Amino acid sequence: MSAAETTSRPPSGLEPGLTREERARALGECPAPGHCVLRAEDVRKSFHRGVWPRRRTVEVLRGASLMVCGGELVGLVGENGSGKSTLMQIVVGLLTRDGGIVWQEGRLGYCPQLPMLWGKLTVDEHFELFARAYGMDAGARDGAVGGLLVELQFERYRGYRVEELSGGTRQKLNLALALMHEPRVLLLDEPYSGFDWETYLRFWEMSERRREAGMGILIVSHILTERERLDRVYELREGRTVQG
Amino acid sequence: MSAFALTSGRFVREQLRAPLTLVLLIAIPVFFVLIFADVLGEFSKALGGTLATQSATAISAGWSAAFLSGTLAFFMVSSSRAADRRLALAGLGPAKVALSRIAAALALGVTVTAVAFLTLWLRSGIGHPLHALVAIFAFAAIYIGIGAVVGALVSDPLAGSLLVLAVFSIDAFSGPQMTSAASGVGTYLPTYHAANLLIAAGGGQGSPAADWRGVAAVALGALTVALAAFWLAARARSPR
Repeated sequence: MSAAETTSRPPSGLEPGLTREERARALGECPAPGHCVLRAEDVRKSFHRGVWPRRRTVEVLRGASLMVCGGELVGLVGENGSGKSTLMQIVVGLLTRDGGIVWQEGRLGYCPQLPMLWGKLTVDEHFELFARAYGMDAGARDGAVGGLLVELQFERYRGYRVEELSGGTRQKLNLALALMHEPRVLLLDEPYSGFDWETYLRFWEMSERRREAGMGILIVSHILTERERLDRVYELREGRTVQG
Repeated sequence: MSAFALTSGRFVREQLRAPLTLVLLIAIPVFFVLIFADVLGEFSKALGGTLATQSATAISAGWSAAFLSGTLAFFMVSSSRAADRRLALAGLGPAKVALSRIAAALALGVTVTAVAFLTLWLRSGIGHPLHALVAIFAFAAIYIGIGAVVGALVSDPLAGSLLVLAVFSIDAFSGPQMTSAASGVGTYLPTYHAANLLIAAGGGQGSPAADWRGVAAVALGALTVALAAFWLAARARSPR
């Protein structure tokens, strides 16, 4: 998951007296001190729904752009159906896009909104399969998994099948699978749905620790009440991103 | 253990952990061979066919393998599509996920074949056991292809399982073995050659080379289609 596409820089000719953030935005560079680890530019996507004669085209993204830097926590908000998850899935590579550019550096971790898990496999079997997919050896896997199980406090469920877990514990596994290979870029789609208050707070602590370690994190939510924890927030309106 | 062996093994385990699946793996062949075979013979007469009881018993073993393999392959794609795509995206890639899925489907197909074969052997004996084994496995392989394709193209579980059942019903009841027509559209049905082989093997007769070539071509084609369907389900795509 390290497909990278080069982007062209916008022309310079900047107004004097711009702030660092305004200047960076105009130059298409990262406004944070770290360098850019994820960039999406002018992403467009339409879905075709129904069958003739009731077939219709729904234009979900009309040129959405965003950027995430290393060591930065960025939010992506928008109303229900505004296209947040679609944009996320395009950035991750789960969905194809109609147009635009997506560029990413290093390993990517993705926590989907609805847990994408096998109901009849156990927590440990999930870690085993994903560790192999990420190219981790047994030592690295055991170290990473052990830490995450303690951090998210669900080590006693290691031998449980996913279908036997509560919604919150499934979500912990969903998140742990995105984190276990210590990605450079982490994309979280409504990651705390189903978490209790303690786990919710622990989630933010984990995210902040990883940000300090240089990870670039993008969090999608329909409501972000924790704006003070974020470095920047994008809002999706009518298929386009607006930086708030 | 290689990534392929690990993933295939987990995919087989995933299917066998459903208690109902385990029960059906035994119950369906027993039901088809012990009960359905007699009905099949009567039904064939009603349609103007000449399917003898022994032939009906033999062919019903094939149908049980086909039915089970088709539905298992369908649900394998249908119920695991999202997690498979995530695994492919995590670095395993859609090709490796698809190969692991088809290996798991084949392992289940072999199991289903073995149960159907044993049931048939215990019920009526088999003139040419090896021929019968190959023919029953061909039924299973062909329906792995059908189940996987339906699973990749139809996301709704109810609609998909009804479609697999519809294909199965047309295939089972419209073939030349069931009707009086010795030629025509029925000879193009996917299990036509496999059914000929199985009926001949059940009665202790050999089969013409054309049937062997036909069954090999259809079974290999079905497995290739199944591989493509598993790949299609595991790759990035536009949603329907």
